[in-house]
Amino acid sequence: MTKTFAELNFPGRLIAVEGLDGSGKSTQIYLLKRWLEQQGLKVFFSEWNSSELVKNATSKGKKRELLTPTTFSLIHATDFADRYERQLVPLLRAGYLVLCDRYIFTAYARDTVRGCMPEWVRGIYDFAAHPDLTFFFKAQLEVSLQRILDGRPQLKYFEAGMDLRLSSDPYESFRIFQGRILEQYLGMSTEFNFSVIDANQPVEAQQSVVRELVAARIDLASFVASHPGPRP
Amino acid sequence: MKRTTAKRNAEPVRRAITVPRASNRRFYGHGIPNVDLNRLAGKLIVVEGADGSGRSTQIARLRNWLEGCGHATVQVGLKRSTLVSEELNQAQNGNILSRTTLSLFYATDFADQLENIILPALKAGFMVLADRYIYTLMARDLVRGMDEAWLKNLYGMAVVPDAVFYLNVSPEQLVQRNFAKNHVLDYWESGMDLGLSRDMFDSFMSYQELVAREFRRLQTIYGFNIVDGNCSPEEINAELQRKIEGVLAAI
Repeated sequence: MTKTFAELNFPGRLIAVEGLDGSGKSTQIYLLKRWLEQQGLKVFFSEWNSSELVKNATSKGKKRELLTPTTFSLIHATDFADRYERQLVPLLRAGYLVLCDRYIFTAYARDTVRGCMPEWVRGIYDFAAHPDLTFFFKAQLEVSLQRILDGRPQLKYFEAGMDLRLSSDPYESFRIFQGRILEQYLGMSTEFNFSVIDANQPVEAQQSVVRELVAARIDLASFVASHPGPRP
Repeated sequence: MKRTTAKRNAEPVRRAITVPRASNRRFYGHGIPNVDLNRLAGKLIVVEGADGSGRSTQIARLRNWLEGCGHATVQVGLKRSTLVSEELNQAQNGNILSRTTLSLFYATDFADQLENIILPALKAGFMVLADRYIYTLMARDLVRGMDEAWLKNLYGMAVVPDAVFYLNVSPEQLVQRNFAKNHVLDYWESGMDLGLSRDMFDSFMSYQELVAREFRRLQTIYGFNIVDGNCSPEEINAELQRKIEGVLAAI
C-alpha cells in the first residue's frame, strides 16, 4: 500500500517523525502533542516497539542476543502490526490525530542496513498506509552521536549495531551503524515526501516550523473533541 | 512400528549406507541474508496435515527408518522457537491478536527455527524432518483473508524443501481421531476466531474443509505430494519412504 490515510478516506490523520537516535525528534513530537492537546483536539501518541504483548519477546531476544537480521525485522513488524491493527487504525477511523514516534521508514532503514532485502521488508509493511505527514529530523551525524554518547555512555548491543560486526568497539560500531542509517533515510527522503527539518536549529525554531506545517496541511478544526477527555 | 523394524532386521542382506547427493538448493524468494546455499548438504523433508492427520506418527517412523539407514536426523515444528513460542501461546490463549499480528508472530517463530535449527542442521548434513512448514501457516492465513502476494513475499525467506507430504484426511475422520485422542476440539484448529459457527463441531468441520481447500490450491503452486491420510499408517509410511528414497538417490 502506498496510499496515505487521507487518500484512503480515513477521517483521522497520521503524523510520523523519523530520524536518528539523538536527532531530537521525540522532543519535537512531544511538543507538537502538547500544542494539539491544548487546542482540545483528539490526539493519540504511539511509540515504536511499545506493544505490551511483543515487548517480552523482543527484550528477551535482545538480552540474550538471539536475534538475527531476519528475526529482528519480523519481531518489530509484529510489534508494529499489533499497534497498527488494534490502536492506530481504530483511532484513525474514529477521527483522531495520531502521532507516531517512528513509523515504517525506521524499519526500512534499519533492516536494510542489517542486510535484509529492501523489497522483502517493504513487502512485509505493505499492509500499512503511509503517514499524511512525515517529519524527518536531519541533524549532522556528529551532533546526533554526541547527544546520545553524552547522555547514555552505556550503549546496548543492538542499538550500537554490534550484531553487524562493524567494529568490536561499541562506540565505533554505533558511529558506523548510525551513518549507514542516515544514508538510508536520505535516500528515502524524496520517495516518501519527507518534510525535512533542520535538527541543528534550536528546539523552538524547529517546533515553530513543525507547527506551521501541521496547521497548513491538516484542517485542525475538524479534530476538536466533542467529548472532552481527561485533562492531560 | 516394532514389527516393521523386526522384519527389516531379519533381512539377510545388509544394505550399504547411501550418501545422499547434494540438492540444488534455493529459497522461495528473497531468502535469508548471508546464507551460502551450496553448503547446505542435508535434506529437508516436510510433513503437513491437520491435527489428527497422523503427522507425528509418520515423522516418528521416518526418523526411525532414516536413522536405521545411517542418516542423522533432527525434528522441527511450529511454535517451538526459543524466541517467541511462549509469548505466542500466551497471546493465543487470550485471543487478543489481530490477524496480521498473529501471522507475523508465527513468521517470527518460523524464522527463528529456520535460522537456528533448520539451516545449521542442513549445513551439517542432517535430515531435517519438519512437522509442518510454511504451507500450514499460509493456508491458515489465506482462510483468514490475508493477501496471498503478501504471504508469498513474507515466506520468501524459506528454503525449498526436498520433499513435502500433505496428509489429506477428511474432516469427518479428523473429528473422530481428535475425539479418540483427547475428547476435545482445539479452539484454533476449529477456526473459532473466524465466527463460522457458534457451534464448535460445525465450526471445526467448515474450517477444516476451508483449510483443505487452500492446501489443494497451494499444491498446484508448490507441487507437494498429497497423501491419502485415510490409509493405514503402514501403507502411508511405505509411500513416504519410497518417495524419500528417490530424494536421497536424486541425480
